[in-house]
Amino acid sequence: MTQSPDERGLELRELFYETSQELLQALNDQALELEKQPGDEEIVRGIRRTVHTLKGDAAACGLRELSELAHQLEDALSVEGAAAHSAVAEIAFAIADAFVEMIAAYRRGGKLPSTKALSKRIQDLTAAPEAKKIRRGRKANAAATSKTAAAKSSAPKSPPLGTSAKPSSDWTEPERLAMTRAQSEGQDVVQVTVKMDPHCAMPIAGRQLVHNAISTMGPVIAVRPDVKSAAASKYVEFVLATMQTAEQIAAKCKIPTIVDEVTVELLLAPDPAAKKAEQIAEQPPVSDLPQASEAPSAEPVPPARTESPATQAIQENILRVEAGRIDNVLNLVGELIIGKSMLQQAISEFSRRYPKELLRGKFADAMTFQSRVLNDLQRSVMKIRMVPVDQLFRRFPRLVRDVARQCGREVELAVSGEDTDLDKGILDAIAEPLTHLVRNAVSHGIESADERRKAGKPPQGTVRLNAYHQGNHVILEVGDDGRGIDAPKIRAKALELGLTTPEDAARLTESDTLDFIFRPGFSTAEQVTEISGRGVGMDVVQSVLHRLKASINVETRSGEGTTFRLKLPLTLAIIRALLFWVEQRLYAIPLNAVVEIARTFESEVHQVDNYEVLQLRNQVLPLLRLGRPAPEQDRRAKLFVLVILVGERKYGLIVDALEGEEELVIKALDDQTFSTDLVSGASILGDGRVVLILNLPAVVEHVAQARPEEAGHAASGLLLSHTDRMRLAMTTGAGGQA
Amino acid sequence: MSRELHIVGFQVGRETYGVPITSLHEIVRVPEITAVPDAPDYLEGVINLRGKIVSVMDLRKRFGEKQASLKKQNRILVVEHGGRLAGLIVDSASEVLKIPADAVEPPPAVFQEGGLNCVTGLGKVGGRLVVLLDMSKLLAPASLQADPVEKKNAKQEARAAGR
Repeated sequence: MTQSPDERGLELRELFYETSQELLQALNDQALELEKQPGDEEIVRGIRRTVHTLKGDAAACGLRELSELAHQLEDALSVEGAAAHSAVAEIAFAIADAFVEMIAAYRRGGKLPSTKALSKRIQDLTAAPEAKKIRRGRKANAAATSKTAAAKSSAPKSPPLGTSAKPSSDWTEPERLAMTRAQSEGQDVVQVTVKMDPHCAMPIAGRQLVHNAISTMGPVIAVRPDVKSAAASKYVEFVLATMQTAEQIAAKCKIPTIVDEVTVELLLAPDPAAKKAEQIAEQPPVSDLPQASEAPSAEPVPPARTESPATQAIQENILRVEAGRIDNVLNLVGELIIGKSMLQQAISEFSRRYPKELLRGKFADAMTFQSRVLNDLQRSVMKIRMVPVDQLFRRFPRLVRDVARQCGREVELAVSGEDTDLDKGILDAIAEPLTHLVRNAVSHGIESADERRKAGKPPQGTVRLNAYHQGNHVILEVGDDGRGIDAPKIRAKALELGLTTPEDAARLTESDTLDFIFRPGFSTAEQVTEISGRGVGMDVVQSVLHRLKASINVETRSGEGTTFRLKLPLTLAIIRALLFWVEQRLYAIPLNAVVEIARTFESEVHQVDNYEVLQLRNQVLPLLRLGRPAPEQDRRAKLFVLVILVGERKYGLIVDALEGEEELVIKALDDQTFSTDLVSGASILGDGRVVLILNLPAVVEHVAQARPEEAGHAASGLLLSHTDRMRLAMTTGAGGQA
Repeated sequence: MSRELHIVGFQVGRETYGVPITSLHEIVRVPEITAVPDAPDYLEGVINLRGKIVSVMDLRKRFGEKQASLKKQNRILVVEHGGRLAGLIVDSASEVLKIPADAVEPPPAVFQEGGLNCVTGLGKVGGRLVVLLDMSKLLAPASLQADPVEKKNAKQEARAAGR
């Protein structure tokens, strides 16, 4: 139980790194708001509160430099008049960035960035003419100022601790209900009041530690005051349903150097009639309510508090869990699914061998039940990994503002669908590509205000971020109402770079042309800026998307704007797949990429420009031959063609035979050994065989990049290994191309 | 101070090679191997090792043997390196050797070139020479990528005639 001070210091520091992220995000948000409503004192106070919390927490962890910088700003803001200064928002942005850098430096144990320039700007804030009327000597009672200010600003409603007044009157309806429920279940409902040590320099983190300790003893029903209020650093009250005695609780909570004093008070003794209550449980549950309202204390029940109690309750119910632990559970679920298919196979063999055995039915029942539970389990675990895209979107207001300022544009960001859920792993991976796209939209997409006025558009451009579900996918859209992508210009550039030939270029469709922007080194920007135009970016976007088995498409209208649409899989871990054979090897592709399965004859395959195509009803499909090249003579041979959809286009995969449909748990290949991008992962089947999952966008791209010179040899042999080629060369003799 | 090295010895071709016993995870018979497309010749593919996907390299091909077919004595040495598992196909795995540290000589300079730069030393056991291998070099991505001819050929064929 006891920890050395060192360990606690480390623990506190880790906690600080974590909590500071949220505070920094809040700081950025507040600064953005302030920029919209310059001089709003309420927002400035909010900024100061955030900075104050950061300062205190940082000081507690011994992060002196950070805390000093924060202190400077807090001081400056408390000087009258400074708050109205127009540069406050600017400085808040700068300081948020500085904090991020400093925290990163602390984490690495590296050198701290210089903050001299920044502190100069902060000092200017108070020296500026707008702040002439300095009422108090800054140095003399700087500390006092900040403290009283903090206390004042948060409208202290809660009574000071130690007075006999019971602050417990304002439990919300759901909380009171929970208390009575706990009481009727025979538990003590106690109120634990923890007075924080005034010398504890990091009370918010300390509070979390206390909360952790308390929640080990039983469900925490309510916590007061709110963590955001100023009083939070002085005391905390918990309402707890527990079986422990008051002494035990007090002992648990008393964490030296953090907690000064613990008082435990019994609110509701366990209902002696708990059993009886159970017997008369047929009574409508409404009867609980009056009992609930009179139970907690004799004081009158106040009306529901204005600050939404619902959100508060939700906040207390959120667990922070390391992603690795959830991945572990997910892995185990994956193993279970493999186990399930093993069982299924064993049972079907059993039924074949003993068709009259009565046990078969029992097995089948157990199997169905188990797979149902397993499905639910899988879905629940997946849900844990899902986070709202807002986590990603909320960093963009700041980015758009910065980029727009740098290129001298007026841009507004419109965000929608931010509560759409996405797998955390995908969300993290997609952050960088999305940043590129948003940057591009601001710096390339949106025109300057003059240009826009000439085109009859409002001077302020709009960048839109949108997210929504579509089937098994999540769509992210980045759109702008700018000038659109100039297709002829791209065509010209592609010619110049030698990516296409003049005759090909003339035939390119618009979407083909737009695809060029995803090629490495392709940029039509006239000048290279710090932000974009280096020609890196779009190909980075493309390669990340490949890895995620996601696709992207572009929609552009000259003069009206461009929209990039990213289609992401809901999750990376488990897919429904179609299994097929190529050259005696089993492969799988995601089932949702398969549009249809067609049977045809070799004679139906035509050559167009050295590519093999198939006319299927009224559309022409480019064919991808995964196995051996087309046989020379046999025109009557039958073919299996899987029609797949990659991006917006259909292709036909020629395969040897079909195996079936199965749920696959994707496991990564050791990508340090295998550098291929044709395969996105592997999976283990019920009988222990390993099946490779093809990465369709990469397969298609390989084929597109191979410019065939000989008729018929276009896109064949993609999946042949070296040994296969040798074998084919030997068996087919002169006919082979090995 | 005669420190002893514990080495797992195995045969590839006519030579005996050795890896430190600490880097060995287990030795298994060769199961069904799933080939991975677009990979160099000596990367056989992947196997299912009790639910884990493990990549397998054929050491015989890596060390330049042309015709390498699988026989019953063939084994896969599953080694652990940098937290990941990898399988090495060898002709047979023989014994655990104890080699005094002073009986190990640095590799001759010629070994430092070409595909054999993964040799850390030559150990002498009872008149035999054991070639000691360095896992990190054997499995380093760089050495796999920079493989001379095989990979290039495979790529060229796969892409008919690249850009």
